[in-house]
Amino acid sequence: MKLDYDSFREIADALVRNRSRSLLTGFGVFWGIFMLLFMVGGGQGLKQLIGSNFEGFATNTTIMVSSQTTKPWKGFKEGRYWNLTYTDVDRLKMLIPELETVTPCISTWGTTSQYGENSYSGNFRGVYADYVNIEEPQIEYGRYINESDVLQERKVCVLGKRVYNNLFPGGGDPCGKFVKVGPAYYQVIGVDYSSGNISVSGSADESITAPLPVVQKILNRGSVVDLVCATGRSGVRMSDLEPRMRQVMARQHQFDPSDKQALFILNTEQLFSLIDNLFTGVNFLIWLVGLGTILAGVIGVSNIMMVTVKERTTEIGIRRAIGATPRDILSQIIMESISLTLAAGSFGIVFSVLLLSLLEKIVAATGDSINFQIGFWTAVVAALMLTALGVIAGLAPASRAMAIKPVDAMRDE
Amino acid sequence: MLIELKDVNKTYNNGQPLHVLKGINLSIDKGEFVSIMGASGSGKSTLLNILGILDNYDTGEYYIDGRLIKGLSERQAADYRNRLIGFIFQSFNLIGFKTAVENVELPLFYQGVNRAKRHQMAMEYLDRLGLADWAKHYPNEMSGGQKQRVAIARALITGPKILLADEPTGALDSKTSEEVMQLLSTLNREEGVTIIVVTHESGVANCTNKIVHIKDGVIGQIQDNFSHSASAFGTATIMK
Repeated sequence: MKLDYDSFREIADALVRNRSRSLLTGFGVFWGIFMLLFMVGGGQGLKQLIGSNFEGFATNTTIMVSSQTTKPWKGFKEGRYWNLTYTDVDRLKMLIPELETVTPCISTWGTTSQYGENSYSGNFRGVYADYVNIEEPQIEYGRYINESDVLQERKVCVLGKRVYNNLFPGGGDPCGKFVKVGPAYYQVIGVDYSSGNISVSGSADESITAPLPVVQKILNRGSVVDLVCATGRSGVRMSDLEPRMRQVMARQHQFDPSDKQALFILNTEQLFSLIDNLFTGVNFLIWLVGLGTILAGVIGVSNIMMVTVKERTTEIGIRRAIGATPRDILSQIIMESISLTLAAGSFGIVFSVLLLSLLEKIVAATGDSINFQIGFWTAVVAALMLTALGVIAGLAPASRAMAIKPVDAMRDE
Repeated sequence: MLIELKDVNKTYNNGQPLHVLKGINLSIDKGEFVSIMGASGSGKSTLLNILGILDNYDTGEYYIDGRLIKGLSERQAADYRNRLIGFIFQSFNLIGFKTAVENVELPLFYQGVNRAKRHQMAMEYLDRLGLADWAKHYPNEMSGGQKQRVAIARALITGPKILLADEPTGALDSKTSEEVMQLLSTLNREEGVTIIVVTHESGVANCTNKIVHIKDGVIGQIQDNFSHSASAFGTATIMK
């Protein structure tokens, strides 16, 4: 194959000679690649948007909440209430060694907090220091609850982002200040900016978090906890542990281990895999539709090349008569096909990148920083794919062109 | 002998078999200026296609310069066409979207000659044919005579052993026809190019040095014509 400036000029000439035809044909490819990349970027952004709701949450977390029994068990009637207690924490740790962290949480809604003349009604919750293993805080000021706070039952608190913004509208470091929460005053030790929307015991940004023993005493909860959170050691699937956790709790609290409603277990791993599955499905659809559209465009290219070859029978015959090998003709047609596909496709790639960055800006304006943009290598793969499709599109027309004999040049007058 | 045909037969099998060439024996020496004359349907175009390796024959043997031209691969045929043979067609067959000089360059492009070299050579040949000023013009901006001269430049540029002309004056008026024939005979005389012209016009045939008459697929008579007195319409002009 001889490739020099003239080869490229010839290709450009061939495409430009039928400008509107090339444009219309190229549009199919343009639209196909645009659709595919735009949807891939959009889908990925959407996944992140949904994923941001689970921000800071360990993916292998299990949350247990007690509920009304629905089955009679050992002489107890159905419909009985029972409660999780502190002892359950140690029991779970002891009986299921695969668990890494087991930590309780108590909370109460609608607690009014006050600082000066500013007040905010949010969620007041008590946790142990190891709650950070369940929901990771993003500390903006100060620190989180630590072991000493818990052991010494200090009256300290960490403010959620929204609480902080309401109580301290002027901003600044609130650490050391005293905030009134419910009936008592607590010293602020930190501000947590995490904004995950998962509501275990109220979402983090509207919560005031204090050491659990303090909250327990203030709220007069006794040994009852609202929920118990657990994470597994690495490599442990929490869904595999679920039956054992049910067994342990059922034996202690006298309910039917098969009574799923008596003990509500939320498994974030399942939740995440649900979302993953959902987006696998969405991605499948995106690729199906996107590739289908590209394919339709490429078939259009193939078709139009077919017509072009037919029109150029004489020209190709002349070329053959003056010494072009079938291979020369083949490469010429294939190169034309690749050029058309690649040129149109490049515009599609550029257009989708522009539109995605626009989308990113619009979303960023609403406060979320979501990455819609397709990756560099995705674009490179798309370009390579276009080249391959260009070759495929050129195959049928090129084989027709190769079949043209030099004598056809003279016959086709 | 530059060209040797031995008992060449060709049959077209489109529906009813048509035996076009029935045992052609022909020898053409280097530097000859030959015309092949015959009525339409006599098989002269088929003979030309075979001579030009544009078509293949069924039986017999065809040698160019001692090389047997038979059962060639497409690639080899293309290479022979490119290096051994220059074509001049009745309808010029220039590529319409290329300028004169680009048309002339094309055979060199397929030889893989680099751009600057082939451009320079093409300009040389155009200049020799008096068309240097027209190099940048497209075929549809030129007259028939000019187009045919571009085509001749294209045929000559590879330095072929044989120049094959298929009715080279068929689309030209009598004055231009005469100019083209004179050009061909000058090329033959001064540069020793072997030229084979296929025509049905006796005036054109008369310009050549040897006339091969073909009729119904067989060669009837080979007539030496160094005196150029074979035309029934006189020697002064080409009758149209």
